[in-house]
Amino acid sequence: MKALLIDDERLARSELRRLLAPHPEIEIVGEAVNANEAQERIASLKPDLIFLDIQMPGDDGFTLLEKLEPPLPHVIFTTAYDEFAVKAFEFNALDYLLKPVDPNRLVGALEKLRSQAARAGIAEPGRERLGTDDKVFVREGDHCWFVSVRNIRLLESEGNYTRLYFDSHKPQLFRSLTAMEERLDSRHFFRANRKQVINLAWVEDIEPWFSGGLLVKLKGGMKVELSRRQAQEFRDRMSL
Amino acid sequence: MCCQLGGWGAFMLVQLGLTSAFSDHSSPRGRDSVTDTAVNVMVTLMGLLLTHAARPLVTRWQWKQLRWLPLVPRVLGMATVLALIWIVAGYGYCYGLIGLPWPSKYNFISIMALSWFQSTWMMVFWFCVYFFYHIYERLQRMQIEQLRLAANVKEAELRALKSQVNPHFLFNSLNSLRALIDEDAGRAREAVTRLANILRYSLQSGQVETVQLRDELQTVEDYLALEQIRHEERLRVRWEVADEARSQLVPPMLLQTLVENAVKYGISTRRAGGEVAISAWIQDAALHLRVSNPGELAPLGNAASAKAGSSTGVGLRNASERLKLLYGDQATLQLVAEPAGSVTAEVSLPCRALAS
Repeated sequence: MKALLIDDERLARSELRRLLAPHPEIEIVGEAVNANEAQERIASLKPDLIFLDIQMPGDDGFTLLEKLEPPLPHVIFTTAYDEFAVKAFEFNALDYLLKPVDPNRLVGALEKLRSQAARAGIAEPGRERLGTDDKVFVREGDHCWFVSVRNIRLLESEGNYTRLYFDSHKPQLFRSLTAMEERLDSRHFFRANRKQVINLAWVEDIEPWFSGGLLVKLKGGMKVELSRRQAQEFRDRMSL
Repeated sequence: MCCQLGGWGAFMLVQLGLTSAFSDHSSPRGRDSVTDTAVNVMVTLMGLLLTHAARPLVTRWQWKQLRWLPLVPRVLGMATVLALIWIVAGYGYCYGLIGLPWPSKYNFISIMALSWFQSTWMMVFWFCVYFFYHIYERLQRMQIEQLRLAANVKEAELRALKSQVNPHFLFNSLNSLRALIDEDAGRAREAVTRLANILRYSLQSGQVETVQLRDELQTVEDYLALEQIRHEERLRVRWEVADEARSQLVPPMLLQTLVENAVKYGISTRRAGGEVAISAWIQDAALHLRVSNPGELAPLGNAASAKAGSSTGVGLRNASERLKLLYGDQATLQLVAEPAGSVTAEVSLPCRALAS
């Protein structure tokens, strides 16, 4: 598994290298000292895993994740002390290591990662289309999420942003719906109308609607209208 | 409102009870019970309406803020007026407008006078209940307010304690130290000593009002040495401390707070890092301390810098409050955006040296 270390402090990076030495399955392919450099290295080195410091000069770790094109590599956060961020992690059970890093906790994080990777198959960063197991990073206010694409019921356009509906949350993603749609697998996602894209796996019920359109009910209670044109395409797609 | 309805409801029930108990023998020209009840209900409703109308007047004239002496005559006067309206309207409607038979053997004027007197006391009673209720309510609100204040004070104290050692600095330093142990054991040993000095100093700083500047400078030096281990070439330091300034007394952690702010906003957030300049000198019987770092004063509006700016604000506000407590108007703390491209915090204190 290829890993990239992102931390502005040289000593912190070399400490992490030392900690990772007993884990030969993790191959450190590079380092980055800030978010911009990290973005370039991720694009060129295509790591499977990044160790990401949150507080860095310039953009912080969260902002970096927001800027990365999904699918994201696996992320293990490292932070010295950040009440706010740690709360965000605990809430979402994201993986993080507190500096100085306890070697046993590192073993735990890597094991968790392995079992995740075994379940989902290792993500291939830079793929054109997002698979259902790929994750999208969203942050809104105090909360951060890695959302599996399969859990997204609906994507709704709000200007340059897209609102994602999953579980009981609906944060905004800093990407246009059109840009998101291009990355989604059209076997699973369908453009219902000008503003909305639905996840076909979440469709519960379909009703005829006015002037040849359709009303699609999603599991969880949301309703989405399809125009006549889209309804025709939907019927063609679903009958295949 | 509930109190109003409840009180007047009880009043009506008592009236109804009394009327039904005494109606047989009270009057030779007795009326049927329906009329009695109707009259009672009407009288009660009028009382309710009158007192309801009195409430905004009490509020507008701010009677709740009055003391006893001015309040009593006002309440009596108001009660008399309300009672007069009450009985004139009541009797006038019953016996004047709809012409019910006069139920008593006594004449109209004496009954009116008696009723006026009784109703006045009724109204006084209503005001008593009203004011007692409001006094009680205000008392409870004050208690809640006091508890909330006490909680706020405790929270502020706790925050002050916590802010003595910046946890972010502490854990990052420990992390660098862990790396340094393998890389350069000598520097690691030195760093442990410096960290111990800082912790000891900040733990003790709560117990003394002032320390000599030389002690504070020692801590600042230890602190900057540790930050230099973390930030390496990104953090450069320039000292200009006049010798005669070193023996001056200063509040502990004052200069340290300014330097921590300088590193936090001038170095940590900037990719290129920069130079932190610290100077101390005596001029016009005042001790001047100056700390500058590269950067701009946070403009409002930009979310990230507003956040940074507000937390700088907290550190500096605390420092300036401490100065005020210790020196009154003789000390100043200001933050200026100069020289160009940098932020400078400058403190001036009245000169005070150790008495020995």
